Amino acid sequence: MTTVRIWFTKTGEASYISLLDLQRVMQRSIKRSGIPVWYTMGFNPHIYMTFANPLPLGQESLVESVDVKTELEKVPLEDWRQALDQVMPLGIKVTRVTLPQYKAEKISFARYQLRMPLSAQTSVDAYNQLETAVILKKTKRGHKEIDLKQALPRIETEQKENELQAELLLTAGEGNNLNPSLWLNFMQEHCGLNATDVSVLRTALLLEDQTDFR
Amino acid sequence: MFDPKLKEALARVQKPGRYTGGEPGCIIKNKEDVDLRFAFCFPDTYEVGMSFLGMKILYELLNERPNWWCERAFMPWLDMKQEMERLHIPTYALESKDPLTVFDIVGFTLQYELSYTNILAMLDLAGIPLYSKDRDESWPLIVAGGPCVCNAEPIADFIDMMMLGEGELQLPEVCATVEQAKKEGISKKELLRRLAKIGGCYVPSFYDVTYKEDGRIQAITPNEECAPAVIHKAIIKDMNTQKLPTNFVVPMVGAVHDRAQIEVLRGCVRGCRFCQAGFIYRPMRQRDAELLNRAAQDLCANTGYEEISLTSLSTSDHSQLETLLDDMAPWTEKEHVSISLPSLRIDNFTESLIEKTTKVRKSGLTFAPEAGTQRLRDVINKNITWEEIEKTCTLAFNAGYTSVKLYFMMGLPTETLEDIEGIAKTAQQIVELYYANPNKPKGRGVQVTISCACFVPKPHTPFQFVPQDTEQMLREKQQHLLHSVHSKKIHVNYHDSKTSFLEAVFAKGDRRLAPVIEAAYRKGCFFDGWDECFQYDTWLETFREFNMDTAFYANRFIELDELTPWSHLDYGVSHEFLVREYKKATMAQTTQPCNRVCSACGANKLLGGACFDYSKDLVH
Repeated sequence: MTTVRIWFTKTGEASYISLLDLQRVMQRSIKRSGIPVWYTMGFNPHIYMTFANPLPLGQESLVESVDVKTELEKVPLEDWRQALDQVMPLGIKVTRVTLPQYKAEKISFARYQLRMPLSAQTSVDAYNQLETAVILKKTKRGHKEIDLKQALPRIETEQKENELQAELLLTAGEGNNLNPSLWLNFMQEHCGLNATDVSVLRTALLLEDQTDFR
Repeated sequence: MFDPKLKEALARVQKPGRYTGGEPGCIIKNKEDVDLRFAFCFPDTYEVGMSFLGMKILYELLNERPNWWCERAFMPWLDMKQEMERLHIPTYALESKDPLTVFDIVGFTLQYELSYTNILAMLDLAGIPLYSKDRDESWPLIVAGGPCVCNAEPIADFIDMMMLGEGELQLPEVCATVEQAKKEGISKKELLRRLAKIGGCYVPSFYDVTYKEDGRIQAITPNEECAPAVIHKAIIKDMNTQKLPTNFVVPMVGAVHDRAQIEVLRGCVRGCRFCQAGFIYRPMRQRDAELLNRAAQDLCANTGYEEISLTSLSTSDHSQLETLLDDMAPWTEKEHVSISLPSLRIDNFTESLIEKTTKVRKSGLTFAPEAGTQRLRDVINKNITWEEIEKTCTLAFNAGYTSVKLYFMMGLPTETLEDIEGIAKTAQQIVELYYANPNKPKGRGVQVTISCACFVPKPHTPFQFVPQDTEQMLREKQQHLLHSVHSKKIHVNYHDSKTSFLEAVFAKGDRRLAPVIEAAYRKGCFFDGWDECFQYDTWLETFREFNMDTAFYANRFIELDELTPWSHLDYGVSHEFLVREYKKATMAQTTQPCNRVCSACGANKLLGGACFDYSKDLVH
């Protein structure tokens, strides 16, 4: 059995597909593409799929991935990519099909690009002045207090055309996932930022040493 | 990327994926290449609308023309409606996200009377004037189709043109006429005159309705030369000439029925007297098994669905059903596709059917005896017997089923409390049958669910004449049913009688209801079919304000020779037949299915000959 990693974008319309819905969308898209993937055995056979570090609803990404299995020993990766890319919904582009080098558990960081209106600069300045930025994070074991300043001491923005851009590097992965929505919630509550004005785009998933997850 | 206002709205609502479009199979065209834009509007939620086969058929059909573009629009759920109002986002179509006002035709499908207020809400949210008379050429043409058109008189003042019957041939003709009219720049009135000449097209404003002093209808008279006195529904004579849709838009946010669907036949031979669909879609016409198998395979390949349902009003009446299932078996198994038969009848459910449909996945067993005693089943012409129910349940239990869901109706004509007790008794007998079965699954109990709806008398059926039970009568019957059930293995669900009452008023209503519907909508009534939104008191209050007696519509016996609001709308079934069937019902006499013997309903004239080749044995 060979494991194959399908890399895709999730932007525009597709950013509004929840993980639960995405599983079904992928299931059907893979089926439409006709690629020979492996089905789980049992009474309710379905395509085996694992998503690495799924994204919250409404955020966009250039680096999503899902692993499938196949009984093929040699997988025509580029043929698969083309077949899959043709059958995806708007906003999902299949960028690469690869043989995985790392397990999804190895993901330690993620990089995000934030785009906001120029008026958001005052809120960002207010954040940068703060000593601490404590927020409650829901975890499997209840709520945990986190100081966002530990991970994000300062937010540097850059003006591009009519908007502000900022890059966030945050820890990611099982148990230690810090999503930008935590920061946005804090900003909305304490720094006067309208969180719905901000677009979030995930641009990279990284390993412990901050090289690309592959 | 999206308009920032839309983005803001999407960030605040539940399941935003319902409002974005972009699903696999959705059609995006270049506006510059398009001569005619059609907005197919489903006046209920995305989840409900995306389950509807009719939309898929017409979407594919219209979009096959390179210069026409058919898009979809749905009623936004409460949170989204509120956001759209707050941010001034008009009702838009999912494909282009353009507002309804830029479309040439805005078409609503009328599947359910309680979606009428949603039509007003969708028009209003788009900034389109509600009344047809207030819209000139600058507004889209507002049209409607679907089963409720057989008496959509309560909303006749809002709609420019309605389409009776089957849309596959008629709708393209309507679109071509509108496209031509656009080129010529003719007036709306002239366009409506041209449309009135198309088979099944009904322009309400071309008819005057007068009333007697007692409130009943005096006359329905055409006021335009082009308008026929009676409008005859459009029909496809041979279903094999109509291509099945093989490219569904596949919803990404859970539709109610999220699966591939193949329409194996249209119409129904059974003639259950309460069932409007059983009369307005006559005669029954089936498609060849070979054609169905090919379309099913293409559809599954194009959509990636893991389940295909063979849909129709009564799928087991297809004369080649076993052949079709055999043909589908090899590829469905290979592709991990399960087959479901949603509308089986108890009387021809066989072992091989169970086996063929459960090879991949087991689906639940659901039947509709509709009434609890044989006498009442004969009254409604649901020709099934306890012996058949017994046989079927035994088969199902042998095959490993442990739950059975039974559909019944309450408030049927001639019904007594004995018939209500019969519902509980039927369920109890099924429970006992299970425990008496030596082949039942080991160590597992049985669950019998009774689902009870309130009977709503519908136009164009033999029961159109009968009054609906009052709310109080229905409530008493519901209580009686609950008291008659003594087993924990039996679960009872019943439908709220309040919505059924409004459904009856609209179903048999006339044009005088339009201002009431508008006023109720203005007071915040919409999504009336949803229990959590239905505002019963507001409706009652509004009827009172307009001095309208709801009992006149819902709880009054219509004389057999009375002129009804729908008497100018012809679905092929003669008035004489409906009267005949009504009289037989009162005597608990049954009528044979049409593929066994012709009962001369008149619908054969639509085909220009006999509906069936009676030399073949078509009944199984």
